Amino acid sequence: MTRVPVPPADAERHNTVCQFCIVGCGYRVFKWPEGREGGLAPRENALGLDLREPLPPNSDWIAPSMHRVVTERDGRRFHVAIVPDGKCSVNEGLASVRGAGLAQTLYAPDQDTKARLHVPMLLGPQGHERVSWEEAVDLGARIVKAVIDRWGPDAVGMKFFDHGGGGGGFENNWAVGRLFFSGIGTRAASIHNRPAYNSEVHAAGDAGLAPLTNAYLDARLADTIVIAGANPYETQTNYFLGHMTPNLQGATLAGKRAAFGVEPVERGRMIVIDPRRTMTVATAEAAGGADRVMHLDIEPGTDIALLNAIARVILDQRWHDVDFLRRHCEWQTFESWQRSTLQVDRPAAEFVAGAARTCGIAPERIHEAARWIAAPKPGGYRRRTLLHYEKGLIWGLKNYENIAAIVGLGLLGGNVGKPGTGISRLGGHQEAYVRPPYPGGRPALNVDESVRRGESKVFWVGGCNPVLTTLRAEAMERALEQRGGLVTEALLRTRDASIGERVTAVVEAMKHGGMFILAQDIYLTATARHAHLVLPAAQWGEMNLTSINGERRLRLYERFMDPPGEAIPDWAIAAKFAKRLRRLYLNDRNPLMANRFLDFDWRSDEDVFIHARYQFDGSDRDPMEGYAGITYELLRRLGNEGIQTPVRLVNRTPSGTVRLHEDGRFFTPSGKARFIPAPLPWPGYGAAFESQRRRYRFWVNNGRTNHIWQTLYHHRHVPFYRDRVPLPYIEIHPDDARSLGVEPGDLVELSNDVGTVRATAYPTTAVKRGHTFMVFGQPRGAAGDLVSDHVDPATTIPYYKGVWADIRRIGVQPDARNVSFRPQNVAI
Amino acid sequence: MTEEAHVPHPERHRLTRRRFIQTTGAAGVGAAASGVVRPGAAAAETASYPIKPIVALDELAAGATVPFTYPDDRSPALLLRMDEGVPRGVGPDSSVVAYSTLCTHKGCPVSYKPEHHLLICPCHWSTFDPAREGGLVIGQASQSLARIELRIESGMAVAVGVDGLIYGRHTNLV
Repeated sequence: MTRVPVPPADAERHNTVCQFCIVGCGYRVFKWPEGREGGLAPRENALGLDLREPLPPNSDWIAPSMHRVVTERDGRRFHVAIVPDGKCSVNEGLASVRGAGLAQTLYAPDQDTKARLHVPMLLGPQGHERVSWEEAVDLGARIVKAVIDRWGPDAVGMKFFDHGGGGGGFENNWAVGRLFFSGIGTRAASIHNRPAYNSEVHAAGDAGLAPLTNAYLDARLADTIVIAGANPYETQTNYFLGHMTPNLQGATLAGKRAAFGVEPVERGRMIVIDPRRTMTVATAEAAGGADRVMHLDIEPGTDIALLNAIARVILDQRWHDVDFLRRHCEWQTFESWQRSTLQVDRPAAEFVAGAARTCGIAPERIHEAARWIAAPKPGGYRRRTLLHYEKGLIWGLKNYENIAAIVGLGLLGGNVGKPGTGISRLGGHQEAYVRPPYPGGRPALNVDESVRRGESKVFWVGGCNPVLTTLRAEAMERALEQRGGLVTEALLRTRDASIGERVTAVVEAMKHGGMFILAQDIYLTATARHAHLVLPAAQWGEMNLTSINGERRLRLYERFMDPPGEAIPDWAIAAKFAKRLRRLYLNDRNPLMANRFLDFDWRSDEDVFIHARYQFDGSDRDPMEGYAGITYELLRRLGNEGIQTPVRLVNRTPSGTVRLHEDGRFFTPSGKARFIPAPLPWPGYGAAFESQRRRYRFWVNNGRTNHIWQTLYHHRHVPFYRDRVPLPYIEIHPDDARSLGVEPGDLVELSNDVGTVRATAYPTTAVKRGHTFMVFGQPRGAAGDLVSDHVDPATTIPYYKGVWADIRRIGVQPDARNVSFRPQNVAI
Repeated sequence: MTEEAHVPHPERHRLTRRRFIQTTGAAGVGAAASGVVRPGAAAAETASYPIKPIVALDELAAGATVPFTYPDDRSPALLLRMDEGVPRGVGPDSSVVAYSTLCTHKGCPVSYKPEHHLLICPCHWSTFDPAREGGLVIGQASQSLARIELRIESGMAVAVGVDGLIYGRHTNLV
């Protein structure tokens, strides 16, 4: 493409927020009819720019990736340009590689995104066949009802999004929660990326902390930023580039001086805890200099040992914040934590040396890290440290103890609720959790096991793709194939029978192990291919939705185009089923069940948003997401700045919250934060992982990467992204590659006692010898095929990163011929 | 030597698409500088790229780089002779390529790091591979570097067009 069209001055304008990562960068949408174009003078185009000359760096340039022609349901065609918003404080005009391609993800009948689901479909003899919404909902609701009536609500299994941004939002989350929890009442629920319905940060919650405590501003003000098990250059990009690296470069010193007065300030420092030398490490060093960045390249699964050792040094040096601990923490838990987790009865040197052996970090570096985190500044001022963590801890050895360890380290220094501090996950998706209470307990029921073992008679999957992302992914797919196949036979056999006979046949198949599968999505994913009923959903931009980002900034993501065909928002799908179930139960003269499906009469996106809002009362009891008093109208006025939740009602006026716990109160009955003691300073790998570790040569770390979002559900339909990662790649040390006879781009096979998977070799010194890193969730090779079904018994969260396998060369991979395998983490 | 010194024949090709270089028999005529058409938005697709000699091949050792501007003096570019043949390369062993050095993320100037064979932007570290058509190795740019189309004429590497949009422009010929 050699040119992009210029939006005319009267182009339709909308605000939106990127649909991808937690950072939630603001974007402006321009839409105008095909065949028209703006002029080059500032007053002649919607950007207000003089396009007669090339734009200088950092301008509101419309890159080709930011433009697409879309076709509405009535056949009219429009240009759409989606440009980063220079006035949004989150990104200040920056786009990530993902956000800059938002326009490429829009449905267009003449582009690869024509693969979007258009109509409801039922599995027939020739594959998925079009049916009407009425037929689809009637059959699905009757089967769900039959299962509830015969086996109880827990036989209806579900795995659904619970997040913000694309595919989620408060609107869709509320509707899904009402259908499954208020209506069906199932405990067999699970969240998109895991086998159960659980928080990924239960330990933070038990400590009384919100998952997202700080504002992005705090990354500009911090003395030290700790990044544990995260790679924000690639996966929280513009938080890192727009807020963290300027601090390392000294570009935020004026802001620090303004905020802190006489308190000494200097360029920020960063500690990165990660076995890999990631782009985050390389770019942080490029920004701040190697002397301001400490990379602690631990051995896998040893975060707990390292974090606790750093805490022990801080305690030993008496750098902890006694005043904060006395006033804002449950002291008894602090004492237990010291004795149990930090083993204060043992000499500190011995404790630290033991941790050093475990995590592979020398004691001196552990001491140095403690200094960076907690040594007082000149004049005795407390150091302001911002602690961030993500999947390296969440999907690490023991989810609960990992999170407890970093929370303990943060509390010890009083690093929460003050400018320049925080203890927060970095986040993957955006957030927008609002649902009626989950009916199950804790630890939550493992739905993957229910699906595999036959307890789930219905499996309803929404906006996620467990065939690519769950643990033992191959076993999940096998269950869908085999158990789903029994129901498929019943449906095909009764194709011309009455609806009642069909439902009866399906129930009979279920008695013999069958499972009815519904998939609600925007594409026919690897999971949806197994579904009997496929329900087409609207995506971001095709409905109004609201979400919060990593600093809890709530905004309205405006609708600017039609969904394809008969696709409708997820909330509307949930409402259709709820209304049908209510009618079926009324026909059964069962008002008790019928009334569980009341109040689904929403007419608009905002109706759902307002309905869900009554979960919040605007008091300080509201959770992190609370948005009392907020309307779409207010959000429209606030634009891409929005308002930071929880929103408190002050004299009935909504008031945002820049950072949580600033009042010194925590979400515990006492209002004080809790330390969470662990029985040991490091729990060890456990027998199963120890055995796998000894048996196989390579540790297979796995996770997200810069170019592609999750399972590539959009990006596999956009050549720029797809062609960069045509297959999953696996980073492997060049020495290891040589020993296997593997060249860059070769196809290799990974195998262990769980399964096998193939990937493209990417030799790089980013990983240590014996370590590898594989892109997870790629449609042509899921790392989940190697992940065992072990979960942390405290939280039912898997140890996704806990994979050891052998690797062998298969041969040259033709698809990788045009892929660059140059080193990624150079960043000069 | 100045870039202007290598403009012996101020002819221009009529170009309509990115594959314009394959178009033949459509050469237009105009003065070297004064004859440049300043197209408006709608006219850009039919404007013509200048033909601009860059460097003599016999002056170009393996690993050499030559800065120049193209298609106008506000558009910095870099010609590189790689150590081996590369896709879309011209000249000896198909080893000569050229790219706009404006990063397609935010327009900062990328610089060549010969020890890594990469073009890297110092602002947000988008990293491009000149041996793979200027494709993104990693970073936040959403397209490859704009590639300067070259051909060899009388022992000279000559710039004749651009594949991809140069940062800051709605069309390459403004």
